Amino acid sequence: MEDTRDLGPADPFLDRSVPSLAPPVRRLRPDRRPVPVPVKPEDDPLIPVRDAAAGPERMRVENLTIRYGGEAAVKDVSLSIHQGQVLALIGPSGCGKTTLLRTLNRLTETTTSATREGDVLLDGEEIEQISVTALRRRIAMVFQQPNPFPMSIFDNVAYAIRVQNAKRPGRREIEHQVVDALRRAGLHDELAGDLDRPALRLSGGQQQRLCIARAIATKPEVLLMDEPCSALDPKSSAIIEDLIAELRRELAVVIVTHNLAQAHRVADKVAFMYLGDLVEYGDVDQVFGAPRAQRTRDYVEGAFG
Amino acid sequence: MSSFAVRLRPAGGPWTDRQAAWRLGAVACLVLLIIVLMVVFVAVRAWPTLQHNGGLAWLGHGGDVDRQVNGMITTSRTPPATAYHLKAWPLVYGTLLTTLVAVAVGLVFAVFSAIFIVEFAPRRLRTVVVPAVRLLAAVPSVIYGLIGILVLAPFVGRHLITPERRASVQFIVQLDGTGVLVAVVILTVMITPIMIAIIVDALIAIPSGWREGASALGANRWEAIWGVSVRAARPAIVAAAVLATARALGEAVMISMVSGSRGFSPKPQDGVTFLFEPIRSLAASMVENVDAINAPAIRSTVYAFALLLLLSSLVLSIGGYVAKLPMRRQGIRI
Repeated sequence: MEDTRDLGPADPFLDRSVPSLAPPVRRLRPDRRPVPVPVKPEDDPLIPVRDAAAGPERMRVENLTIRYGGEAAVKDVSLSIHQGQVLALIGPSGCGKTTLLRTLNRLTETTTSATREGDVLLDGEEIEQISVTALRRRIAMVFQQPNPFPMSIFDNVAYAIRVQNAKRPGRREIEHQVVDALRRAGLHDELAGDLDRPALRLSGGQQQRLCIARAIATKPEVLLMDEPCSALDPKSSAIIEDLIAELRRELAVVIVTHNLAQAHRVADKVAFMYLGDLVEYGDVDQVFGAPRAQRTRDYVEGAFG
Repeated sequence: MSSFAVRLRPAGGPWTDRQAAWRLGAVACLVLLIIVLMVVFVAVRAWPTLQHNGGLAWLGHGGDVDRQVNGMITTSRTPPATAYHLKAWPLVYGTLLTTLVAVAVGLVFAVFSAIFIVEFAPRRLRTVVVPAVRLLAAVPSVIYGLIGILVLAPFVGRHLITPERRASVQFIVQLDGTGVLVAVVILTVMITPIMIAIIVDALIAIPSGWREGASALGANRWEAIWGVSVRAARPAIVAAAVLATARALGEAVMISMVSGSRGFSPKPQDGVTFLFEPIRSLAASMVENVDAINAPAIRSTVYAFALLLLLSSLVLSIGGYVAKLPMRRQGIRI
């Protein structure tokens, strides 16, 4: 299917056809072009049919409101998160995307002034009913700044496995798990078998993939990513985007991003948030191609934010 | 005012990089030179003691070290070789015992209180406690000595040492309250604040992303702190221990006040009595022999003690450096 839309000036950093940027990993959506230029719904002949089979619903957010003190950072948000899908949260800075994300694994609780109304369900169970450590084992998270611990690569991944076991397993018991996680994060081949290197000596992109390996080592059901590429160069970002496309087959991914092109590339569903409100929530092509709300249209056109 | 400010600038304008390198390098070399000269000077002055005791044999044990030292006072201007004879083990033992126990106990207290201050204490408490700890770290040691000898030692002597215990050893040593227990307690109290201050600074400097990352992996608060923050702060913990050990090794007046100041080696086999028996450290011995410093044998002996302390601080610095090497390899730079 040939895309005949006017794509605007090509951005060399975002154009994935540049050979040096194209990783050998299979692209999930080769037809997805980076520049999100919305067209009027009536001019768009077809909204592409999603090829990702949406799996079972993993999480459901119902009428969620988060307040810091008296001020609501997230207002009455409802959405659902499915296995096999990538949900991108987009919107201007300070509009509650990260707060929403951090609520999903109860990290907002570490801010003492934060209060929550509404429900967040994981597999039908209210997340407050699940112990916080058990919850975070099922809902892993990758942060904006790569934060590998000051240990060896092996120990970084092993930390996740060890902290989730009552009895600290030895190196030999968990070696295959560590290697498997590094392989799934696309880092294993680059390391050439040397897992005892200090994690902090890796490049920024490698560090972030190590953090992803650490997060997925214990097979969580949901992976939360808070602007995982914002501290990375374009090439590393491209590798991570491919990784996300791979990972979504085994788990549900929620990603906060300021990069609309990235959201367009990786997401299946998009939620546009503005000043704490969930303005629009739908399939990626609908939100970018035929936004219902004027504010969404302005934002994806780059009018503000 | 402005002309004064102008004159503060170097005459030839700001230093060039080359000038800065040479001048700062010269200052650094001067410091190094002074240290080397000091060690050499002390070693030369200590030489008679080393020579007449057959190298390091004087560190061994045998006889009463106090009596040996007192015997040196009466000797003439050019004393015979026998006047230098000394078996300094009780003093070395007293130094090691007080220092090691105080540092070990103090370190445990320091690590846990630093964790509490940084991670668990309410913010308001923290703003009070941290400056207080720094203040304690700066209290002159003689004040701790004063409290030890005026408050703690009389208390121990009156309430903890039973008359039977006192009578049981009355022909060997006098138990008056001063001794191992009071010395170690006071020394621990003295060196713990500086360790707390160093470890608190290190824990505050740990990037919050590490702790948050650990929490997000399902670690509870303690696991995140112990497994990541404290682990990453290990270089600071080593540095704190080294600094505290150096302070404890060199502590003279305070130990002299509260240790009972006898060249005696209490035996742990003695049970509880061990805690009340007197000791004396090398540094305290140096201070106490100042009166008799004009006797050549004593002077040389005091220099030999000084040499021992200098070398142990050297070993301490190198040991701290070596201990931090594997952590530095992991990229920990705190």
